[in-house]
Amino acid sequence: MRNLYLFFRRHYIYFLFLLLEVVSLSLFFNYNEFQNAAVYKLTTQLSGSVNSLFRNVSEYFTLGKTNQTLTQEIAQLQARMPEAFYKADTSAFFIGDTMYKTEYWYIAAKVISNSTNKRNNFLMINKGRIHGVENNMGVVIGNRIVGQVVGVSKHFSWVMSVLNKDSRISGKFKKNDQLVNIEWNGGSYRYGTVKEIPKHFEIKKGDTIITSGNSEIYPEGFLIGTIEDFTIAQDDNFNSATILFATDFNSLGYVEVVIDMMRKEKEDLKASFHTK
Amino acid sequence: MIYKNAIRFLVLIFLQVLILNHISLSGYINPYLYVYFILLLPFETPYWLLLTSAFAIGIGVDVFSNTPGLNAAASVAMAFSRPMVIRSVSSGIGPDYTGTPSIVNQGMKWFFYYAAFLILIHHTVLFYLEVFSFREFFATLLRVLLSSAFTLALVFVAEYLGFRRK
Repeated sequence: MRNLYLFFRRHYIYFLFLLLEVVSLSLFFNYNEFQNAAVYKLTTQLSGSVNSLFRNVSEYFTLGKTNQTLTQEIAQLQARMPEAFYKADTSAFFIGDTMYKTEYWYIAAKVISNSTNKRNNFLMINKGRIHGVENNMGVVIGNRIVGQVVGVSKHFSWVMSVLNKDSRISGKFKKNDQLVNIEWNGGSYRYGTVKEIPKHFEIKKGDTIITSGNSEIYPEGFLIGTIEDFTIAQDDNFNSATILFATDFNSLGYVEVVIDMMRKEKEDLKASFHTK
Repeated sequence: MIYKNAIRFLVLIFLQVLILNHISLSGYINPYLYVYFILLLPFETPYWLLLTSAFAIGIGVDVFSNTPGLNAAASVAMAFSRPMVIRSVSSGIGPDYTGTPSIVNQGMKWFFYYAAFLILIHHTVLFYLEVFSFREFFATLLRVLLSSAFTLALVFVAEYLGFRRK
């Protein structure tokens, strides 16, 4: 017993080292569970307040750019207003028409922290649970994609950027609906990789890739990017290509969270199918 | 001595999360100047205190950058290897230094090797842990080397600006 005590006493530093490393690594690898812990909610509040303080100052330097983006978005929205459409016969509509029920709703949010230089990038936005944000909601800017909500606290949310190791986006070619997956392999924040393009499929530089709507995160038809370059694989059944992202991830001021009003219905349907 | 280090601890965390985390050069370079705190802990700091204060500053940075445990793991690894690095860069029987490590007290060459080795250890653990795959081995290696060089440059700038007098 005494020898054991002496052993610990002599080598306590190695045990301390191991203990601290085990604590750090278990925090790191149990990241997803950690997000649900109460302590995480507290730290998110804290870092959210500090980051928004910083953002309040730095925002002034990018006001011009922000104005420009907002103006563009207003223009796009005006194009979607009822007034922008030609009315053939208004008497064909009646109140409560289920054909025109809203499927997606958007909440505007301010980006209070953002990065593009890490392997796994995240954004923090100033909308949280009390505003109706939930996990796995999509985040877009105009008609371009930004990321996916992965953590929600009372007033803030963490968004996993497209520029992340764990980010997989289900997309398709606009010209013929060919489904592909888009990933980011690090390096420049402007380029991603398109995977699983079948051999027989003809790729051209400049082909547009949009969201497929299969993942229930982004609605269908949001812009992902355009093909910049591609390689024909010799020993594989699939080709891959480099995509130039439509989104400028380095200058995000305001973004919108996509709320799918029919998400519960879709999930219930899926769950009822899987249990049988 | 304790006050100086405590102030340095806070200043470096805020410098890291408010300014340096937002610096992005060509998608590869990401400086982590907060390790300067671990570099400047006095020689006579007990080993256990070295490890726990490295853990504390790592966790502090983690809390603000949404990477629980990542910076803490790298900082603890760096602090753990500090005495060995000191022993190997001070050729001969071993260091009999006291006080804060600095260019003025230990000389340019000593401080360069000391800081370079420790920063390299820290950044290697940090970047490979973040990626957690050897599939992108060389891309990550490039990021480690470029970022280490940048952090080292910042450490020297801070050293000459007399940051440590804070």
